Amino acid sequence: MGELFRRLRYLLFHRRFDRELENEMEFHREMAARQGRRNFGNTLRLREQSREAWGWTWIDRLLQDLRYAARILWRSPGFAATAVGVLTLGIGVCVTGFSLLNFLVFRFLPVRDPAALVRLQRDSLEIHTSETPYQSFLFYQAHAKTLSAMFATMGSPAMELDDDLKPVSIDFVTANYFSELGAIAATGRLIDPHRDDSADAVPVVVLNYMFWQQRFSGDPSVIGRVIRLNKKPVTVIGILSNFSATLDGNNTDVYLPIKQQSYFIEGSRALTDVFSGGVGMWGRLARGVTAKSAGEELLALTNDLRKLYPKLIWDKEYIHIDPGGHPAILQPEMLRAFALIAALLLLIFIVACANLGGLMMARSIAREHEISIRIAIGANRKRIFRQLFTESLVLALLGAFSGLTLSYMGLRIISAMNPTPAWVSFAPDWRVLLFVVGIAVMAAIFFGLAPALQIARQRQRKTMVRQILVGAQIAASCVLLIVSSLLVHAVLHMMHADPGFGYEQVIGISPGLDGHGYTPQAAQNYLDTLRGRLLGLPGVKSVALSKISLLGNGYTAYMTEEIGGHPVNIYPNWVDTEFFKTMGIPLLRGRDLRPGETHAVIVSDSLARRLWPGQEALGQKFGDQKDLVVGVAGNARIKALNDGDAVEAYWAMQPSDMASMTLLVKTAGAPDELPPMMKSIAETLDPKLFPYIWLLKSGFREFTKILENTAVGVSVLGMVAVLLAGVGIIGLVAYSVSQRTKEIAIRLALGAKPMHVLTVVLRQFLVPVLAGAVVGAIATAGVSQFLRKILFGISNLDPAGYAGGILVLIAIAAAATLLPARRALRVDPMSALHEE
Amino acid sequence: MPMSLMPKPDMPPGALTLLILRVLQSGSLHGYAIAQRIHILSSEVLAVEEGSLYPALQKMLLKGWVSGEWGISETNRKVRFYRLTPAGRKQLQAELSNYDRVTEAIQAVLRTA
Repeated sequence: MGELFRRLRYLLFHRRFDRELENEMEFHREMAARQGRRNFGNTLRLREQSREAWGWTWIDRLLQDLRYAARILWRSPGFAATAVGVLTLGIGVCVTGFSLLNFLVFRFLPVRDPAALVRLQRDSLEIHTSETPYQSFLFYQAHAKTLSAMFATMGSPAMELDDDLKPVSIDFVTANYFSELGAIAATGRLIDPHRDDSADAVPVVVLNYMFWQQRFSGDPSVIGRVIRLNKKPVTVIGILSNFSATLDGNNTDVYLPIKQQSYFIEGSRALTDVFSGGVGMWGRLARGVTAKSAGEELLALTNDLRKLYPKLIWDKEYIHIDPGGHPAILQPEMLRAFALIAALLLLIFIVACANLGGLMMARSIAREHEISIRIAIGANRKRIFRQLFTESLVLALLGAFSGLTLSYMGLRIISAMNPTPAWVSFAPDWRVLLFVVGIAVMAAIFFGLAPALQIARQRQRKTMVRQILVGAQIAASCVLLIVSSLLVHAVLHMMHADPGFGYEQVIGISPGLDGHGYTPQAAQNYLDTLRGRLLGLPGVKSVALSKISLLGNGYTAYMTEEIGGHPVNIYPNWVDTEFFKTMGIPLLRGRDLRPGETHAVIVSDSLARRLWPGQEALGQKFGDQKDLVVGVAGNARIKALNDGDAVEAYWAMQPSDMASMTLLVKTAGAPDELPPMMKSIAETLDPKLFPYIWLLKSGFREFTKILENTAVGVSVLGMVAVLLAGVGIIGLVAYSVSQRTKEIAIRLALGAKPMHVLTVVLRQFLVPVLAGAVVGAIATAGVSQFLRKILFGISNLDPAGYAGGILVLIAIAAAATLLPARRALRVDPMSALHEE
Repeated sequence: MPMSLMPKPDMPPGALTLLILRVLQSGSLHGYAIAQRIHILSSEVLAVEEGSLYPALQKMLLKGWVSGEWGISETNRKVRFYRLTPAGRKQLQAELSNYDRVTEAIQAVLRTA
């Protein structure tokens, strides 16, 4: 303790301490001289040695090394610029990835006390849902003592605003939602617990800032105006500030008080019936309460709730608590996606480091002279090594911070091009800065350690390390190129191959009967009438009913079952007898489902092959209910276009499903003209309803768009990597040619054939390039299992994808080696030998 | 490293600290006087060079065994005098007993081997 204090005091007053020591030693000399003794020691050196006792000399050395590194880099601006450029790219992409992760998962939203916010979801060992019945929410809100406040949001189908064509997205929120988040209004007021927390209050709406800008051009006079949502008059009371965050990332256009839900959605029982609909539930931990103790209390309340609603509460149900103050909650699926992205970014980083490593090696030859002089005049190797490594570190930090700048500017440009709330900021915080410094140190170790060691040992002529560096770049680029080539192939496949079902001429209609309190019988009547009217339209070929909504609307449900040791996602659907015809899914064997039939199932061919390989599927029993397999249908991964492993099972729809059915309408010609007609038909049947009508083909396009974007993104990464590698190889070949000019000249003078000379020069690159390609391909094959779910039905070992990636790689590597190698052939033996 | 900077080869490692502690026991001294004292008391066998004396003194300052105070030398010059601190006295006792044990042990081996 005392020692540390004295040490720090020394650091603070080191100038005074040094003067005192100097003075003291001078006195010593004077006295010694009086005695007739002479001391020829170096005073400076002696003082330095004495100072070492305090343990701060490393700072002096570091400063010295930094000054020297700066001078060296300043003197070779070409090298420094190249190195910083390569690192800017390599580190920039990684920093961008981390900044996004940081923004989504680690940073707090700009809301009041975000650390105390928790997201509450129903969970049990088997079932998990983000929706809690509103009545349960009220129960928890009334009884929970560990939570200082609770609030909820309820999503709902988009609504019509006045006579707009484009529907607006809406969110019903509890009256305390905005006050609990500490949100402020840009103008007007927000939903308020004292005025809007009642079903009888005047219906009010709060507009999101961006929506206000787009729809009302930011007109402040909109406050107090009455607008119509789904034909219901409602007063605009305020605009949510652009600087206030909401828990859905400000994706909602308008906010309505939850208590007024049934005013907007007539007949809805979502607030009263615990079995229809639910809310997203949030809470704020009371002061000093941990999530664990809140969880215990909520579990006890859940058990009380079971007494009220015995059918509602599941076995072993509890409330799952997640931190709620971030834009996203890190779910396992998201973690997997991030791991995948991180792996791809890491490959770019590896290419950049290996590239720079090669550059450093080549440069080290040029510095051989300088280093040998320094060693000859007494510098020790450790010090030289430290000096060289400091140089690498300076380069890496320069590259890392310019990478950070590039990434920040890129993110700024992207968020400026897309509608983004003002609170979204990618300004680097301490986590990002720490990441930048960390990745810079890692980069310095990757690209600087080996060359520094070699130079310090003065053994830089080994080609082995250079070859490994080339191999590493090729291998990493190879992985990226194969992955992007697989994705490109998947896009092509998706656009041109038969997906197993017809979507071009199908229109979906989701009337939303369950949301408006339809009984199964009423729903049956409505659907029968609507179907009859639709079939009367010119150009309509057939109308089918499907419980699961397809392509472009609705949720996805699947069951995961363990088949042959692998989890398989089975996508279920409940359909009528027209479904297979309407969707163009072939019935391969067996018969269709009979109307309302129970204990019978049709499985997809893929499911049949998995469950009963080599056997006849017809007549087998499937599932918990031991349903009889009556038919085998063609594969149609409608709900999981991207998952080549997905399989399907179909049951006959039951009368109780009626209120949640979706209609699928197949047209003879192009379907584009029909939706407006269908809308007016639906409106005459029941004006309360606002059916959602969409073209299946636009849903399909959206899916392909996502895949296309992914393919483009990964291809860009792949090209960056391969270009970096190419530039690196060009540099190394050019260098190796210039090193061997004399040898080449002699060979040519002695009559060697140009091809032979070329082979000699390039032979040392052949092995690492080939080995790198092979290692890259094997590595990709090894990890490609993770890609299956995004490859839209092509195999993760797809030969065309691999061949494409490797061919591009080899072509670029060949160009990169041959381009500079041509110089070897143009060597004029006479002038080359004269130069020496 | 030039020879003049090294501790005398006949001085065992660690002995210098012990000697400095011991000569400071009777009162505070400046650096040169410490060197002189050791030189004279060892019947001019041990010569303490600047190169080993000052690093040793700096280290003892750091450890808190000695403290420095400014005084006037016999030649009327302002100079730092070193004084033993309580921690230094404790260290001296520890080192002395340790030294005695080791020398006895060495002597025992030398006598009987």
